[in-house]
Amino acid sequence: MIKSEPKSILQFLANHYELLRELFDLQVKNEIIRREQLYNSIKEYGSDLEVQLIEHKIVVEQNDDYVINEPYFVLFEFILQQFKPLLPEEIEKYGQSIRTLFFNIKEGINSDKNILVDRIEALSKEINKFTNSVKNNTQSLLYESKELKANSKKYEYQVKVHKARFWIENYIVPLNAILDVNHTQSIYNELLAISQFSNIKRFDYGDESIRRQFEKLYNLLRQVAKDINHQSSILTNELLPLIERIKTESEYLRGFHQYLTNGNCYKGIIPPSLFVSTRDNIYNPFVYENTKEYFEQFKNEDEVIVIEDNNYLTEWLFDRTEYKANLDKNLPLNDFFGWCENTIKQEKTDFTIDVFFMVTSLLFEDDYEVSVDEHKRKMTISTDSAELFMPWLNIKKRDYVSR
Amino acid sequence: MYPDEHKEIVTSLMEGKFITVVDVLFKTIKKNEEFYIDFFQKSFGFELIGTHDFYYLLSKETNENTSRDISIFFSILCYELDKEGKNFLDELNFSEFTLDEIIDYFKNSSWSDVIKANKQLSSVENIKKLIGTTLVKRNIAVKQNNERYIFTKAHKLFIDFAKDLVNKEQPS
Repeated sequence: MIKSEPKSILQFLANHYELLRELFDLQVKNEIIRREQLYNSIKEYGSDLEVQLIEHKIVVEQNDDYVINEPYFVLFEFILQQFKPLLPEEIEKYGQSIRTLFFNIKEGINSDKNILVDRIEALSKEINKFTNSVKNNTQSLLYESKELKANSKKYEYQVKVHKARFWIENYIVPLNAILDVNHTQSIYNELLAISQFSNIKRFDYGDESIRRQFEKLYNLLRQVAKDINHQSSILTNELLPLIERIKTESEYLRGFHQYLTNGNCYKGIIPPSLFVSTRDNIYNPFVYENTKEYFEQFKNEDEVIVIEDNNYLTEWLFDRTEYKANLDKNLPLNDFFGWCENTIKQEKTDFTIDVFFMVTSLLFEDDYEVSVDEHKRKMTISTDSAELFMPWLNIKKRDYVSR
Repeated sequence: MYPDEHKEIVTSLMEGKFITVVDVLFKTIKKNEEFYIDFFQKSFGFELIGTHDFYYLLSKETNENTSRDISIFFSILCYELDKEGKNFLDELNFSEFTLDEIIDYFKNSSWSDVIKANKQLSSVENIKKLIGTTLVKRNIAVKQNNERYIFTKAHKLFIDFAKDLVNKEQPS
């Protein structure tokens, strides 16, 4: 059980990314994080972090050392797009489970519906895992092959060929066999068979809910076929001919590789300076492009985030009709300002001077006759910012005389 | 007295064009290089940059986004040409390209993440615009009569920039 709040864990990951990245790199390099390595890293980033690393189960003990807990490790691999190439056996295991599940679905097609649904769902899950592992593997093999092509580490040609051969024999050719449409036993061909089967069953199966399950499976496989074709073309065009491709090498290619793999080429590396035309004639043939180019230069600016103050004041609106109706009900009055104060207070106890004067404006309505109190009495009204000394005013409905 | 073609030289450079070695204006600038360096500096505060292959102007402000688009464009194009077993330096210097050929290189490239992240390269229409207007406008590419494009020597600014990265320490 993890005791920590999910939000605190995510916050921790964001706040201590550098430490976690360092631990991730250590584990990628050495398979484990040695106890002293963990303490050294923690010492560098903040000594109180050990408790949280353990509490959030980000690192777990392995004998005397530590490893990053698997779900976090997978998350880091994904967000850093840094996958360790999988051996063909690690991918082939999905082939086994896909074959078994498909066989069981076909065999038990008329048996219990619940187990059939469970098997279709499990099959979809395995297909997704298989596709993701192929995508990640192609990505990591591409990364390795591009590194080798750029030869950033300046290997001798023989060493480069040796490394290329290693990748091709152990990873690239076996992965290609898994995806090869001409290979009858390939997982790709198995997926095509499942796709054909689910395409038929989504129409002719007796039960509607099962038809829907086959429909979902069929749609998933349509996407998978596209994805795998793409991966397969990368293998054929770029990875299989690796030995041929590493024959050419130049500082240019190394530079392109460095530029394109920068990952942050929008901010990290400043491109060559380019002249900005200061004025354009409207009849210039490129005036449209120049104007567009001018505005587009601001497109990759950092976003400005305005954090709004949530404690804003709601504006008070004077409902003249309602206040007037209220006044009419209470007429005649001999203390108009006193009535104003009391009535406003019924709506809001802490009113401003502006609110008060808005309500007193009723005094100027044509319907009323106003006169000063014969005893010249005065009263005090307190608002949040002022104290007002007001006379007593008599107010009554005006008597209209028909002419 | 001003040199011959003075107006054309000033107009071209002020429009952000590269004047390359094959252009007749190149010789005039070369012959009057000191005059033009002085002229652009004193008249507009612009710097005239000259190499063996081209002349161009620099202002205090730079169009970083366009320059980045062009740098990424050439980096990927060269990488893909090399992948096809072609000598990309020869191809850029001496070959003609149709727009479709160039677009295919980008469609089949494994640098799809970089391409998707760059607006000028992320769609066929935008690639056409980048070549047909941005590069042509600056005389980095020239459209031939047969609908094909050639790259002028100005492309070297962008590929040499990438080459020079190898020897430089860049901030991450």
